[in-house]
Amino acid sequence: MERRLSCGSAVDEADQIVASQTIDSELIRACDAELDSLRDDVDENARVRLVATARRVRGAVMTEKTMTITIGGVSIVGRDASVLRRALEIPKTIDRTDLPIIWRDGSGAVLLHEAIGHAAEHDAAPVTWPSWLRVNDVPRFAFDDVGAPAKGANLMTEPPQCMRRESFRDVPLRRMTNVLVRQTRAPFALPAKSIDVHLVAGGAYDPLTDVVTIHIAASSAGAFTFRRTRAEVAKSLAGAKGAPVVYPGVICSREGQELAVGSAAPVMITE
Amino acid sequence: MIYRKRGCVARWEHGRLVVVREAGEAIEERGVFEVRPIAGEIDARLDDVARIAKPFRHPNVERLVVSHGVAEHECNGVRWREESRRLHIAMTHKQHRVLIDQAGFDYEEFLQIAGPFLRAGVERDAPPRIRLAPNVTAALLPHLVGVAPPNVRLMQSGGGLDGNGEEIQEFCVAPGATLPNVFRPSYRIRPVRMPLNLRLESDVDVIDRDMPVAVALLAPIAGLMLRVLVVEIHRAYPSTIRISRIDAVDRDRTWYPYGAGAFGSEIML
Repeated sequence: MERRLSCGSAVDEADQIVASQTIDSELIRACDAELDSLRDDVDENARVRLVATARRVRGAVMTEKTMTITIGGVSIVGRDASVLRRALEIPKTIDRTDLPIIWRDGSGAVLLHEAIGHAAEHDAAPVTWPSWLRVNDVPRFAFDDVGAPAKGANLMTEPPQCMRRESFRDVPLRRMTNVLVRQTRAPFALPAKSIDVHLVAGGAYDPLTDVVTIHIAASSAGAFTFRRTRAEVAKSLAGAKGAPVVYPGVICSREGQELAVGSAAPVMITE
Repeated sequence: MIYRKRGCVARWEHGRLVVVREAGEAIEERGVFEVRPIAGEIDARLDDVARIAKPFRHPNVERLVVSHGVAEHECNGVRWREESRRLHIAMTHKQHRVLIDQAGFDYEEFLQIAGPFLRAGVERDAPPRIRLAPNVTAALLPHLVGVAPPNVRLMQSGGGLDGNGEEIQEFCVAPGATLPNVFRPSYRIRPVRMPLNLRLESDVDVIDRDMPVAVALLAPIAGLMLRVLVVEIHRAYPSTIRISRIDAVDRDRTWYPYGAGAFGSEIML
């Protein structure tokens, strides 16, 4: 068992950030309340990490909480360990990994978090995405971590508008907050043979090579790695169906700063 | 066990100067590891890292972190003070990225890597015999734990104190050996038993300096495969090498911030 409390403040001046330890009882109480609300869902048979943060920006107090459940080295951000157990029990029925992929359970949001969201953070060159696709960052808090009103962004045409930092010790960076993928009258034809993806172990986007890497944790082809350039991902998007499904969360790490990013996407197909 | 740390650090990162002062304690009792802030600050003069960063701000530098920190530790009735300087640079050219990590701000060492990197040609097969520069060897050492080739000895270098305030023992890191010391990179992290301040030893210390040399890493090390920048007479190129045998280890060593510390020396494969 490990327990950590950390509190402090950061003052952003013109050319420097001065960060120091400060005790704010109201913020600590807010974190405690958030943690208490998660404790009942802790599964004793899994590795569980609860994180609650409370921050005061421009006088407004904003809180966030996440529960990360890990079994057999695979994690989800969510409160129900049975979701993870079910995903890990999906039998491997296909030996090939070069078939079309059906991104189920919102997992397509992780693919586009990397291919569109991180690329937007790095001002990557434009790529032609299907006209039926919409990918937006939809903040769920009032102010970002530099005190600016939180603004949404069309990630297909602009970078995220919110500056975020993991702690008072960190430099604020332009980061995603909550990726919402939608489709409008997209085609959707199930291929004769395909791989169903349910859970992703992790992903990456390299701005140098423009390559997107997704480590699939649970699928009908077992665990495997999907690696394509961003242009190849865009070209391979063959369809989508239905309303966005909330994916059990993403802990996004960039420059050593880990932040929870909401994720939701409809069922999607890549060929 | 109670461990306390008071520290301050100045860090240049993403074009901003960040100065952090904090103090905290870690208490480990009956299997519970608990961390919380405590009162108190230390008084220390920190380097002007913004000024130090200036010459390293090359247009091809993708990431630059320059930091200077001072910390006072207290554990098991032992108090000690540490000062650390770190430089991390990721530089890009064409489709390649070179990684530089130093425990100081050595501009000459940076130039010795940046120069050949910016004129590097196309990928080539690794030459049959090659040297590794000390910075590359240092990055390799943590990956040799448990798998070091039989003709060399991987040693933990004695001296100084570990994360619990215990003396760091001189120790041969043989496969399966029980490690005597712990690493505590932050008061917020549970100490981990691992070898500190690694170095490599061999009975052969004669290095053929006419051989091509791997001067820097082009990717983090995965197992015993290294993506490196090779300099061979007048040309430089990316290549991939696999460590199978180490023929000689130079006796001059420089400390680098890889793993829980590693003394890199020039080696010959």
